[in-house]
Amino acid sequence: MTRMPMNRRQALKRMGTVGAGSLLAGAGVPLFAGSRTDRVVVVGGGFGGATAAKYLKRLAPGLNVTLVEPAKRYYTCPFTNLYLGGMREFESLGHDYRELSDRYDVRVLHAFAQDVDVEGRRLQLENGSTLRWDRLILSPGIDFRWGDLEGYDKRAPEQAPHAWKAGPQTKLLRKQLVAMEDGGTFILVAPDNPFRCPPGPYERVSMIANYFKKNKPRSKILLLDAKDTFSKQGLFEEGWRTHYGDMIEWVGRSADGRVVRVDPELLEVETEFGTVHKASVLNVVPPQKAGAIAHRAGVADDSGWVPIDPHTFRARRAEGVYVLGDATQAAPMPKSGFVANTQAKVAARAVIADLAGEPAPEPSWANTCYSVIAPEWGITVANVYEVHEGTLREVPGSGGVSPLDADAAFRSREAAYAEAWYAAITQDIWGTRPA
Amino acid sequence: MHRTIARIRSVIPALVATALIVASPASAEAQGNAPWDRVDPAQELLDGATPRAESIQIDLPSVTQDGSSVPLSIEVDHPMRSDDYIEALYVFATRNPSPEVVEYHFTPLAGKARISTRVRLNESQTVFALARTSRGAWLAGTREIRVTVSGCIAQGNAEKGPDFMQTRVRAASRARPGEPLDVRTLINHPMETGLREDSNGNAIPERIVHSFRAEINGETVLTARFHRAVSANPYLLFYIAPGQSGPLHLTWEEDTGETATATAEIPAA
Repeated sequence: MTRMPMNRRQALKRMGTVGAGSLLAGAGVPLFAGSRTDRVVVVGGGFGGATAAKYLKRLAPGLNVTLVEPAKRYYTCPFTNLYLGGMREFESLGHDYRELSDRYDVRVLHAFAQDVDVEGRRLQLENGSTLRWDRLILSPGIDFRWGDLEGYDKRAPEQAPHAWKAGPQTKLLRKQLVAMEDGGTFILVAPDNPFRCPPGPYERVSMIANYFKKNKPRSKILLLDAKDTFSKQGLFEEGWRTHYGDMIEWVGRSADGRVVRVDPELLEVETEFGTVHKASVLNVVPPQKAGAIAHRAGVADDSGWVPIDPHTFRARRAEGVYVLGDATQAAPMPKSGFVANTQAKVAARAVIADLAGEPAPEPSWANTCYSVIAPEWGITVANVYEVHEGTLREVPGSGGVSPLDADAAFRSREAAYAEAWYAAITQDIWGTRPA
Repeated sequence: MHRTIARIRSVIPALVATALIVASPASAEAQGNAPWDRVDPAQELLDGATPRAESIQIDLPSVTQDGSSVPLSIEVDHPMRSDDYIEALYVFATRNPSPEVVEYHFTPLAGKARISTRVRLNESQTVFALARTSRGAWLAGTREIRVTVSGCIAQGNAEKGPDFMQTRVRAASRARPGEPLDVRTLINHPMETGLREDSNGNAIPERIVHSFRAEINGETVLTARFHRAVSANPYLLFYIAPGQSGPLHLTWEEDTGETATATAEIPAA
């Protein structure tokens, strides 16, 4: 942990290779790429897909780029916890596609991608139409493994929300928390690895504790976990003690924290060794897999995730198809919005090089996950990634987590950086200007 | 409860260095092609026999970001009749500091030779299992796993806590007719590998739960020998043949000789 300051300069230097600076230099981008009207179709308008569409057009304005995304307004998962904690308005998490269509000339189709014909290079939409592509980029995010957790079926989220995709589920959870009486118990059920946003469940209980402390101080929070350790654990536990005393109780797998059955009507959960817990508000983060279109395209493997060529993020199981973000098997990269954003930039260059018949430029990726534990109390984990001997790895010494026992001023700066990160990345992707 | 990434990472180079000495691939390749040809304790067990690479299904994730606790399930597709059953199942990790992971000894009362547990895997490697039938035949199965180190996923080192040697057991409340009944067990124990250092840089001595026994009505269902590659807080899921009912007694023993027990009532079908 002490090595983070020493290496930050080095890390930033490496991060520059995926940032805008190198775009100006045009390093690795073939001069005439995209001057023909090659068609690239991007599925999914989140952190991966929207970035890919934009950077394809920035790097190769002549490309014909279509983005397929059902929502006209996209709500980010990052910072939904701040909304749940009463620190942000829901609408501040929404972004649209006007910059992509108006400024970058991306054809944005608000439709649902239903099936992929890899051989015929066609994408079928739910509305019946078909798109032809020369290269396809899938950034579908996650789907849930309905049925893996007994009792948590497709209808269960109406009573016991997952709120793990931003939208009506997020608002439902907030509504339930607001309606809950003081002295109630909020239970969050956390899944085993891998899953979207490794620090997410722990930031969520922090933010809900923030709301309870101000509004319902007699309430309790129980986090039942299928794991024995979690992301930034020491920092979260320190923050919980500092701000919330004993309000939050975390029960790991070996203390019988793994939930094996959910009763969404009674708001009860049962653990592996038979303990039954009753909630006032129950939030279940279910086991996950790559989004449906990845399975339709046949690019996912038995794990439920998509194996990729680490240099380019081309799917190993299909020609001409690239996959980004949470859907991929890209360990040790986390399933985070930031990582999807840098994966998209790498893939955009690889697609352009591929269309030009040239080798892909040397890739580099970066990630920072900020978590907000309380107002003016933020923590981070950061890393830079590279391909080493054919597989992805963390660049040794490139990152780390915030120090334990840092003072309030340090935590406050990291909370400010978190806000700045959100403003910067949403501007980078959707062109959103801070209000 | 403090588990800092910095301290955990400091141990990993030491583990890797040890692994390279124990299982140098360059010298091993020359001896044979199968992974059991390259692991001495497996060779001793086989004693010249050649296992048939069939009937063993090993379930491991293809990639893990937490080598300290990797879910492992193994099933041997073989009868469990009194005249022909799987009497032993051995698990090895070719590139761990020591290759032995765990071994199980079944009786026909186990109903099926299937287990689930969690293990420590030091780096990307081949995991293999050898099973011996009561008639003396050997079966084998292998599985590759990639282990990555991720700053985002904390690796666990359990400390000796107030729940030390606390046990848990749960048998399924009802089995399908004619089907073996599943039993889940867990004992809280840090399973110190002897490869870890404390905050002052002193080696923490090895101290593990080394054995486990399950008996019903005084008859053995299963015994197990745990090595240090079994994850902290050893977890074991196993089965009991249909037609068995009554109290199931479980006993764990650790290196000091201290034992812990648990009992579950197995319902009549």
